Amino acid sequence: MNSANVTLSVSNVSLKKVYKRYGSTEIVKGIDLEIGAHEFVVLVGPSGCGKSTTLRMIAGLEEISDGTVSIGERVVNKIPPKDRDVAMVFQNYALYPHLSVAENIAFGLKLRKTPKDRVKAAVDEASSILSLDPYLERKPSDLSGGQRQRVAMGRAIVRHPKVFLFDEPLSNLDAKLRTQMRAEIKRLHKRLQVTTVYVTHDQVEAMTLADRIVIMRDGKIEQIGTPMDVFLHPANTFVASFIGSPPMNLLDGKIRKSDGKVAIELNDGCIVPVPHKDGMSFTDGQEVRVGFRPEDLDVVVNDQNHTAPMNCSVDLVEPLGSEALLHLQIAGQSAVAKTTSHGRSSDMSGIANTTQVFGNLKHLHIFDRASEQSIY
Amino acid sequence: MSSNINNKITGIGQILRKDWQLYLLLAPMVIWFIVFLYTPMAGLQIAFKDFSLFKGIYGSTWVGFEHFQTLFNDELFIRSIGNTFLISLYSLVFAFPMPIILALMFNELHHAMFKKTAQTIAYLPHFISVVIVAGMVVSFLSPTTGIVNLVLDYFGFEKTYFLTNPDYFRPIFIGSTMWKEAGFESIVYLAAIAGVNPSLYESARVDGASRWQQIWRITLPSILPTIIIMLIIRIGNLVEVGFEYIILLYQPATFETSDVISTFIYRVGLQGSQYDIATAAGLFNAVIAFILVYSANRISRKLSSSSLW
Amino acid sequence: MIKRLLPMLVAGIVSASVPTTSAAATDDYRISEKPLEMTIHMHFRDKYAWDENWPVALKAAEMTGITLKGVASRVGTNSQEMFNLMMVAGDLPDVVGGDALKDNFFKYGMEGAFLPLNDLIDEHAPHLKQMLADNPSIRKAITAPDGNIYYIPYIPDGKSARGYFIRQDWLDTLGLKQPQNVDELYEVLTAFRNKDPNGNGKMDEVPYFARQWPELIRLVTLWDARSTGSDAYHEFYIKDDTVRYGYADTEYRVAIRNLAKWYQEGLIDQEIFTRGARSREFLLGNDLGGMTHDWFASTSGYNESLADKVPGINLVPFAPPASPTGVRMEENGRIEVKPDGWAISHANEHPVETIKYFDFVFTDTGRNLFNFGVEGEHWNMVDGKAKFTPEVLNSDKPVNAQMWEIGAQIPVGFHMDYSYERQWTNDIALAGIDMYEKGDYIIPQFSGIAMTVEERKIYDKYWPNILTYMLETQQAWILGSRDVDDDWDNYMKRINDLGFEKVQAALQSGYNRQYK
Repeated sequence: MNSANVTLSVSNVSLKKVYKRYGSTEIVKGIDLEIGAHEFVVLVGPSGCGKSTTLRMIAGLEEISDGTVSIGERVVNKIPPKDRDVAMVFQNYALYPHLSVAENIAFGLKLRKTPKDRVKAAVDEASSILSLDPYLERKPSDLSGGQRQRVAMGRAIVRHPKVFLFDEPLSNLDAKLRTQMRAEIKRLHKRLQVTTVYVTHDQVEAMTLADRIVIMRDGKIEQIGTPMDVFLHPANTFVASFIGSPPMNLLDGKIRKSDGKVAIELNDGCIVPVPHKDGMSFTDGQEVRVGFRPEDLDVVVNDQNHTAPMNCSVDLVEPLGSEALLHLQIAGQSAVAKTTSHGRSSDMSGIANTTQVFGNLKHLHIFDRASEQSIY
Repeated sequence: MSSNINNKITGIGQILRKDWQLYLLLAPMVIWFIVFLYTPMAGLQIAFKDFSLFKGIYGSTWVGFEHFQTLFNDELFIRSIGNTFLISLYSLVFAFPMPIILALMFNELHHAMFKKTAQTIAYLPHFISVVIVAGMVVSFLSPTTGIVNLVLDYFGFEKTYFLTNPDYFRPIFIGSTMWKEAGFESIVYLAAIAGVNPSLYESARVDGASRWQQIWRITLPSILPTIIIMLIIRIGNLVEVGFEYIILLYQPATFETSDVISTFIYRVGLQGSQYDIATAAGLFNAVIAFILVYSANRISRKLSSSSLW
Repeated sequence: MIKRLLPMLVAGIVSASVPTTSAAATDDYRISEKPLEMTIHMHFRDKYAWDENWPVALKAAEMTGITLKGVASRVGTNSQEMFNLMMVAGDLPDVVGGDALKDNFFKYGMEGAFLPLNDLIDEHAPHLKQMLADNPSIRKAITAPDGNIYYIPYIPDGKSARGYFIRQDWLDTLGLKQPQNVDELYEVLTAFRNKDPNGNGKMDEVPYFARQWPELIRLVTLWDARSTGSDAYHEFYIKDDTVRYGYADTEYRVAIRNLAKWYQEGLIDQEIFTRGARSREFLLGNDLGGMTHDWFASTSGYNESLADKVPGINLVPFAPPASPTGVRMEENGRIEVKPDGWAISHANEHPVETIKYFDFVFTDTGRNLFNFGVEGEHWNMVDGKAKFTPEVLNSDKPVNAQMWEIGAQIPVGFHMDYSYERQWTNDIALAGIDMYEKGDYIIPQFSGIAMTVEERKIYDKYWPNILTYMLETQQAWILGSRDVDDDWDNYMKRINDLGFEKVQAALQSGYNRQYK
């Protein structure tokens, strides 16, 4: 099957000051989001952050309490789901148990009274894209989880919608299958180039799939950006600790200014120098949090000029093969370092007995402790 | 050959010894079945006996198929079989779908208070005794003061003494039974509907299904197994029309359509303490019911893969 | 033909025909010197069970030395079922009693479950023997097809049961007299229908109504037909030693033709078949009903209870209107022998003592005990008559209910004394009863035939269907959906096809054996 035949007209999606309220409870608190045509946007955040609700408002499954949602040029607030030209894939697949795979895929087309031959062509096309040919006559109950999810996607793509919506589609799959399906979704998007909004709580999925990531918390958007952008420049402590695995280490400290130099004093008196950056501004004694990603803490010095030695004690060593995770206490706070310095040997005693770790100052993050915002 | 049997017996003994705790757990149920369900079956033999309470089941003399001959030579019994089937059949056609429709309608209600109120009102008649329902039917259909006749009169139709007209008996019986039971019977379908994955509806809505299409293409197929099970059970009861309610509603004038097997037995058998004839008729009922259930189950298993067993 | 048991005297005189032998004179009723305890299964009227602690039972035990200990469960709600269960269990108590057991006593008596009492009565029960000798019709009624007596019956007293009642105040309003014959009755009912006797301006009067629809069929007696032969509905009756059935008589055809006309003309409650048990209360209470046929005792109470609701209501009994041939007939009366009573089971080891106990109930003392309760406690002897104490008469509870609670007036083998009822019957009813008895309107009630196994088989096989067919047709005729004159020949043919003549012949042979 020639994929060039699959031509889709796609739309941008625009959310302006969108609210969702249940009685006096606000679930989504006025979010603004522009999703470009062909873009793959992932909404990510802890459960209860409003990401699914936002997606369902785009789909039309939830009413919009305030603000506007537009698909293309059209404001869709009052338009029922079936007329929004979107397709949605659900976490539990939502396959019709009494229909065969082929019938499931054709369901949306049949409802629209599409001629039979066109239905058949569309089903054939989708099933070949998704390698479902051998299963067309089976019932969903006879399929594996991955196959079911592919059927659900097939059901979405035959409709040639302007927007794809995915609601945690992979969370019911085991880890291996999840990785596999993740790649498949990515390939599918590459091939079809349909605007996609994808909801997940898994930051790895978000990082791997997204053109842009939208990180949400408590009904608000914390940060929007490309995966690397949010990884390298987290806007606040929440994003910093949500993106990246293991999460960024955050250590309490105070700004100490002297001789025009800035440093941070940790609780145990350890000093972390702050390399100069244009436009940085601190006040003496300002309470801050110092952020090092685990991979930026090491037991050996990598770069003499950009290092901050810190006293520590090791609680636990977790060897991961090429890497090892060190669970540490620094200035009375927990931290994790990811190191390769055990040299892939089974002898962990060297790193387990270390009393000092070195932070890489090139990748130093500083957040204001009160506002949680990134200030460096 | 005999060693073979011996082997089998020791085999069973070993199995028993091995899992004796499990068999011990099973025992109360088995005993209950034997004592309360299988032993009384011995009483069925009175259908073939000239039964006397004093002589007992075993002391009474055998008369073969005499009671069955008596029954089947009795045109009123034959008539009662016909009436039973017709009432059941019409109930099947008209009353069986009603709780399903009701459940679907309840499911479409979204205002929580209104839904609860509507459901409660629909369940309520089930808890009214048939005696009272019959009284209500009688007064609603009263030719002088009944609401039905007052309405008929208002629109210029002639007042009718419905309960003495054989033509109206079946509609009245089935209609009032429907009113009494449909709400309560809808509970089982509501439960089945509640078990349908809500994302199926959401998916269908996104796919473009209207409410009507959601009912038709999702709700109904999803509860189809429940419907089929209920239907099989119902078919098994085709020959059973409870006599209490009929007796409360019927009149000699409507016997022609209202006299069913159970009322026939009640009048002929139990009033005269003719347990043997009553048992014969009951046995006949049971055999027919078994054949019906068995056939319905087979057909259903072939057509829809849903079945009782 | 059937002789009444006793001359019906007005006051509660213990009738002279009840024997008073020497035993009564010595006041010594002791049967057993040592206290003797026996068991009794007696569950009756779907509600009550024999209780050895009833004052009556205690008194009887004190006097006779015999205690009957009740073994029927008090929680049962179906006496027939309780009896069946006891029979099936096989372990019979010494005495079995209750209501509506006559057929069972016969059937199982002939199978050996109950002792034949003939010899026992002759040898040990002088009062019973005398009573049966004085009343051969009772003896016949309780004799099984094999010639044995298996139970001692409940013998009612008094004659009247139901009578005709009419709204005298309506008659007065319309200036009419009590109807003396069927034509006048027709006039009166028509006037009730058309002339608005309740004065509300609406034609809503229901001239004739009844709580039980067979009381409508009862009106066939106005044209000399019959609706039943006993105090139950739809029974055979006896005429000139012939077993006859009302619904197969030619008079019935005429009567039904007229009733259909009356129904058509609205003289009869249009809802009579469905209105049910509360129709009397409803129709009288709303000033709608004009005439009915019902129990003297209960119907005569409405003038008082409805005095506030329906001012001026005056519902009075009146004599049965005469038929075209001049016969005034009250078809419903008290039966001579009830199918209730008690019997001695084959397991009883003291049949002589038991029959003596049964006999004690038929002595004057025993009769008073089982009619009125304990002397000095529930009644006192005034002028040689038992008179209830004021506490009993003025209690909130009806006297009969009080009696049942102490174990009197229950369906054992005893001779009822009508004066028990008279003492608390109101004047309206008493006047009606006197009128009916003086006018000799009440025709004798047939006590039924004890069928042999073969006769019973024929009856059971054919009768239910014949009756079903007759009742179906009867209602259709009255309601006007069919016409009696068009149908009559077919109707007669059909009932014969259904086996009517066979049933009649079986009953006739039974009658001949039992009563001729």
